[in-house]
Amino acid sequence: MASKRIQKELQDLQKDPPTSCSAGPVGDDLFHWQATIMGPSDSPYSGGVFFVTIHFPPDYPFKPPKVNFSTKVYHPNINSNGSICLDILKEQWSPALTISKVLLSICSLLTDPNPDDPLVPEIAHIYKNQRPRYEETARAWTQKYAMN
Amino acid sequence: MDSDDDMHDAMGSASEGEQEYQSDLMPSDNEVNESDESDYGFDDNGVDDDPQPASSRSQSTYLVLSEKDIRQRQEEAVTNVSTVLDISPTQAGILLRHFKWSISKVNDEWFADEDAVRDKVGLLKPLVEPASDTKDVTCGICFESYPPASMKATTCGHNFCSSCWAGYIHTAINDGPGCLTLRCPDPSCNAAVGEDMVLSLVSDDDRTKYTRYVLRSYVEDNRKTKWCPAPNCEFAVEFILGSGPFDIVCKCSYSFCWNCLEEAHRPVDCDTVAKWILKNCAESENMNWILANSKPCPKCKRPIEKNQGCMHITCTPPCKFEFCWLCLGAWSEHGERTGGFYACNRYETAKQEGVYDEAERRREMAKNSLERYTHYYERWATNESSRGKAVADLHQMQAVQIEKLSDKQCQPVSQLKFITEAWLQIIECRRVLKWTYAYGYYLPENEVGKRQFFEYVQGEAEAGLERLHQCAEKDLQTFLEGDTPNPCFNDFRTKLAGLTSVTKTYFENLVRALENGLSDVNSKVSAKVGCCSKPSGNSKGRAGRSKAGTSKSVSIGNTTKAVPSNYPAVDIALIRSACLSCLANLKVNGSVCGSS
Repeated sequence: MASKRIQKELQDLQKDPPTSCSAGPVGDDLFHWQATIMGPSDSPYSGGVFFVTIHFPPDYPFKPPKVNFSTKVYHPNINSNGSICLDILKEQWSPALTISKVLLSICSLLTDPNPDDPLVPEIAHIYKNQRPRYEETARAWTQKYAMN
Repeated sequence: MDSDDDMHDAMGSASEGEQEYQSDLMPSDNEVNESDESDYGFDDNGVDDDPQPASSRSQSTYLVLSEKDIRQRQEEAVTNVSTVLDISPTQAGILLRHFKWSISKVNDEWFADEDAVRDKVGLLKPLVEPASDTKDVTCGICFESYPPASMKATTCGHNFCSSCWAGYIHTAINDGPGCLTLRCPDPSCNAAVGEDMVLSLVSDDDRTKYTRYVLRSYVEDNRKTKWCPAPNCEFAVEFILGSGPFDIVCKCSYSFCWNCLEEAHRPVDCDTVAKWILKNCAESENMNWILANSKPCPKCKRPIEKNQGCMHITCTPPCKFEFCWLCLGAWSEHGERTGGFYACNRYETAKQEGVYDEAERRREMAKNSLERYTHYYERWATNESSRGKAVADLHQMQAVQIEKLSDKQCQPVSQLKFITEAWLQIIECRRVLKWTYAYGYYLPENEVGKRQFFEYVQGEAEAGLERLHQCAEKDLQTFLEGDTPNPCFNDFRTKLAGLTSVTKTYFENLVRALENGLSDVNSKVSAKVGCCSKPSGNSKGRAGRSKAGTSKSVSIGNTTKAVPSNYPAVDIALIRSACLSCLANLKVNGSVCGSS
């Protein structure tokens, strides 16, 4: 079931790729993917290319995939290990969701952080109280880690 | 309005006979005994198969439920809701689980705002089935195409194929009790997935798990029910909230406190018990002890306890270091020049110089507080182990001894109930006595009057219990040994039954004293409670006693049945001859024993 479904998702992604992301297996292992996300243009991550690793559990899609940033990101909901605090990757996961939808959700999380449920409280605090400083740092990190 | 009770009533009848509400025994029991002393016989009228010590009478405060009872209650609740709200049993189940099995809450909420409830719990109004299309449909999970007939949906109409549904449900069940609130797999849909759909799609294993979760939800979500905390016990207990004491005796024979789920600890309150248990398990006590009673070997640093003997200490192998306990210096340096082995003046000198002061003082303080704690702990623990032994003895008694005794003494087994009763009383008293030591530990030192009174009541109870325990344990042996019936057996019967009854009274007094916070202390202390009877003491005892029969009670053992009305009363004369050592106490409690 899992590999069939992953195969189908891959086909769909190749047939009809989303505008700001791409994804596919690393090597021969169908359960281990890498994806790229373009920093949304209306965010301080604009211009950056962010790498994301995806591990599918054996009981996918009944269990959510494990998704982590491998590029450093300055964001209230993404920590220094690249872990992402996103409900649909946890308790709100549904087998009717797909990697494509997950990547789109991550894009919108980049544009609209959720500082009320932060993974990195310090960044959330700055985001809430000193927005320009947050944007500046996020841009600087994007420049440093997500370009070239 | 508390229509929870409706449910209750509806179910009470169904399970009667299997579980008895702790019967409201005749409050006048004692009076009956008093007037019936001559009737002190063992004719079996009204005596139940499970002998009950008289102290086990309790109010109807709880009900022990088996798995079958719980399922039955669930079914009846579901039927009730589905009839009243005109919805399917599955939907009724969803509602009841959401509202923690409170029928009244379901009704209140539903009739206040049905749409809001439906929305909240995911009970959509049934959709009109879409005209069945012959075109294949793509399953939203596996993305395969299937003919519409092989697709399934809950009330919302979001179709998924059967195998994806099965996988979805299987995963949810194996994730835990959250499967009881399963929703449609469509991320934007709130529709609940009901029991019928779940059970139609799962393996036997998953079915077992799911029904287990449903069962558990009844006990665990419901305010009025809890599982018996004993390991492997499958019974649940339903407590009539707001009533009576918290002591529960489960059908598995474990007795526990409804409120804190620790073992039964009446008359001591839950907070004291929690503190005491925490204290007992605190590693710090061990450290305190080691600190107070030991010194580290100066060489290998292992703690050494010196119990007695000379100051010449030899550490255990492999260290074997020889040193002086007082100065911790090597023994090799000791001799004539230190002023003799047993008076190490180097220590005294050092102490004068203040070298040891701080450490010594700490050791001394820790030792004092620890000795106090040890005093109470020892007695707490010893009573616990005595109780354990008594439980084992009772089982042995019931399994083997009673029959043997019946043979030896030519007595029908039914005439030997007084022995079982004595043991049940011992077990219960050990439990109460044990907890009074935790109580004693926390009784403030400066409340001298209360402390004296407490120690007096406790001492009386304890002395009574020791006599009873000894009689049941030792005296009985004589009658198990001889070859011919012993003519003294009837005396023994009278003595043991008498002691059982007297001890019960002592413990009722103790329990009552502790439960009312030793508030009798003023009158009692001013009367200088001693070993002889006082008029005021007597009348108090009597008043106290009749009260004990009705409201204050101690539950016992593994049964919760009525006490037979012909529970042996005490024949004072016989007891006097049988047990001279009790004489003084019988005097004190003359009125209590009903001789006046």
